[in-house]
Amino acid sequence: LSTASAHSPKASPAPLLARRLVIVSGKGGTGKTTVAAALGLAAAEAGRRVLVAEVGRDEHVPRLFGRDGPELAPGLHSLRIDPYDALAEYLALQVGMRPLVERALRNRGFRQLMDASPGWRELITLGKIWHLEQQDAFDLIVVDAPATGHGLTFLDVPRVVVSTLRAGPLRRHAEWVADLVRDAERTVLLPVTLAEELPVRETLQLVERVREQVGVAVDRVVVNAFATDPCPPGVPDLDARLARLAPVPGLPGPDVASACVRHLRSRHELNRRYLDELARRSELPAVVLPFVAEGVRGPEALRGLATPLLAEPT
Amino acid sequence: VSSTTPEELVDRRRVAVCVGSGGVGKTTLAAALALSAARRGRRAVVVTIDPARRLADALGVGELGNEPREIPRAQLRALEVPEQGQLSAMMLDMKRTFDELVERFAPDAVSRERILTNPIYRHVSDALAGSAEYSAMEKVFEISERREFDLVVLDTPPSQHALDFLEAPERLLEFLDSTLVRMLVHPAFAAGRFGFRLFQRSTQRVLRLLERVSGMAFLEDISEFLLAFEGMAEGFRDRARRVRGLLLGPECGFVLATGPTPESVAHAQAFLDRLEASRVRLAGVVANRLRAWPGGGRPPARVPDGVSEAEALAALESALARDGGEGFPAGDAARAALAAVSSYASMARRDAEALAPLAERARRAGCFWRCVPELPRDVHDLEGLAWMAEHVFRPGEGP
Repeated sequence: LSTASAHSPKASPAPLLARRLVIVSGKGGTGKTTVAAALGLAAAEAGRRVLVAEVGRDEHVPRLFGRDGPELAPGLHSLRIDPYDALAEYLALQVGMRPLVERALRNRGFRQLMDASPGWRELITLGKIWHLEQQDAFDLIVVDAPATGHGLTFLDVPRVVVSTLRAGPLRRHAEWVADLVRDAERTVLLPVTLAEELPVRETLQLVERVREQVGVAVDRVVVNAFATDPCPPGVPDLDARLARLAPVPGLPGPDVASACVRHLRSRHELNRRYLDELARRSELPAVVLPFVAEGVRGPEALRGLATPLLAEPT
Repeated sequence: VSSTTPEELVDRRRVAVCVGSGGVGKTTLAAALALSAARRGRRAVVVTIDPARRLADALGVGELGNEPREIPRAQLRALEVPEQGQLSAMMLDMKRTFDELVERFAPDAVSRERILTNPIYRHVSDALAGSAEYSAMEKVFEISERREFDLVVLDTPPSQHALDFLEAPERLLEFLDSTLVRMLVHPAFAAGRFGFRLFQRSTQRVLRLLERVSGMAFLEDISEFLLAFEGMAEGFRDRARRVRGLLLGPECGFVLATGPTPESVAHAQAFLDRLEASRVRLAGVVANRLRAWPGGGRPPARVPDGVSEAEALAALESALARDGGEGFPAGDAARAALAAVSSYASMARRDAEALAPLAERARRAGCFWRCVPELPRDVHDLEGLAWMAEHVFRPGEGP
């Protein structure tokens, strides 16, 4: 850790880059992978050695950069954690006999049994992340965690395992993982949402349950794709004014121009309402990322999100 | 191949399943389809998983019920639903659906208790490989068997893995049938067969190893669960087969919902690949929240078009200044207006371009293709659903 971050004032939330582990979670479609990638890039460009870890079935982060390789930008790596690979690695570390372990893991019956067994995927994935954190090859690990509902299970599994098992190596390892997840100095959960009804509701549930049950630090919420107000200050009726004008050469007709502004304005009002509700009910500051009409793809576009993402939340 | 239409789907099928990734308006689409069926004189029910609060309130399913509730006649009349038409809604309680299944198939009270209190079963909503999805399918089957409704519309769970719900019955069967499960339940079953013995020895060694590492009575819990489950396996197996039969049969139609962005279209394409491989009958594809160009037609390729930006800005500014009079910030207003039109045109273009290949694919597959424009507000009441339904039944919008 840099000495600067160790001495930063406690009043506002500690900078995201001062942590070791940022776990990005959110409902499907909120852009959490994009946020994870943008945060990773921002951290790498601030001189950190960064890993973006994905836990889903498919790998999305390299595609956002238009790359396949593990190094996406100088200092920025990505990794998809496959639970079966991580399990093989773990078992081999614990007991040796790697060929036997691998043979059993390839066995169809065994796979079915494991497919049906709860919790181990989350635990082994977090265990892998713990292992990476211990190795010190990276300053910051950004985890693109499962969508909200699954995300909670994901973070809560170590605690459940610790409370279930009385003894044994697994309990000890789960304790290490649980300690990392709940260490507010090292780990923070970063919920990503849209300022719309369903995502806001899910985010409020996530924050509440994380606070009550899981004990992971949450100090801000990312509100993604926020539609900014198309009307300049003092001209809230821009659409009505445009509708009254005579056609302007090179521009769509007055009705069409007016409809464009009206549409963007009502999206803005909708977003504003849900942003206010989120801030009021979660009592958390929000990091607001603007809606990007062209979509966010490639390092240039991701870089555009870096400044608001690292800014102090409001 | 003759094309399926939305009319054919809601008039003739018994089950419609809405699929798609999260956040694309599946729930709203499912409710709108059920409402359309009711308006066309059918008795319809929509089974939802996790509706937005206000939509749930509008449908009268504010709390978990696990049983359909009818929308009051007075409300339906206002939406032009004829007397013979009927609309019900329910919110699925997945855990309870699964418990109900256990209660139905358990041979006696003792095995029922043994299952419901087994630690493995208590994790079952996560454990039995997609049992959430299985529950949804099960409930649809149960309701459609009752014949109280002409059409059941299902809003599928927002699963991480696209088609889990379809494979869920199959996976449950496979699991129950698997050699390993059989060996755990009946070690004698494998004893006489050399190949199995070998496999058993190495697998059991790994299982013992897992127990040693985990300190859990892993094997014991699982075999106890499976033993208790065994008495009901036949019931489950038969049930799962019939659920699958209904889903793949001619009385069921799938509708894929997608958003308009390149990301959601990519998801939709992947979904279509898997739907095609799975032999389900795809009835249609609905693109939701399309940023349509106002007044119809194509969005301009660039804004401004044919003149320079400076010229367009100057013309707009002077027109706004004339209209606004003394002191009006016409310069700011002109820049904001140009930015808004240009940004909306770029969204509309992007949506149209992203959706075009999907539209083409839907037409080639012989299913209907419909676009629903983005509303400036959430669809959260019955009027909003009626509005959406009208778009689903109106061809020719979007690419």
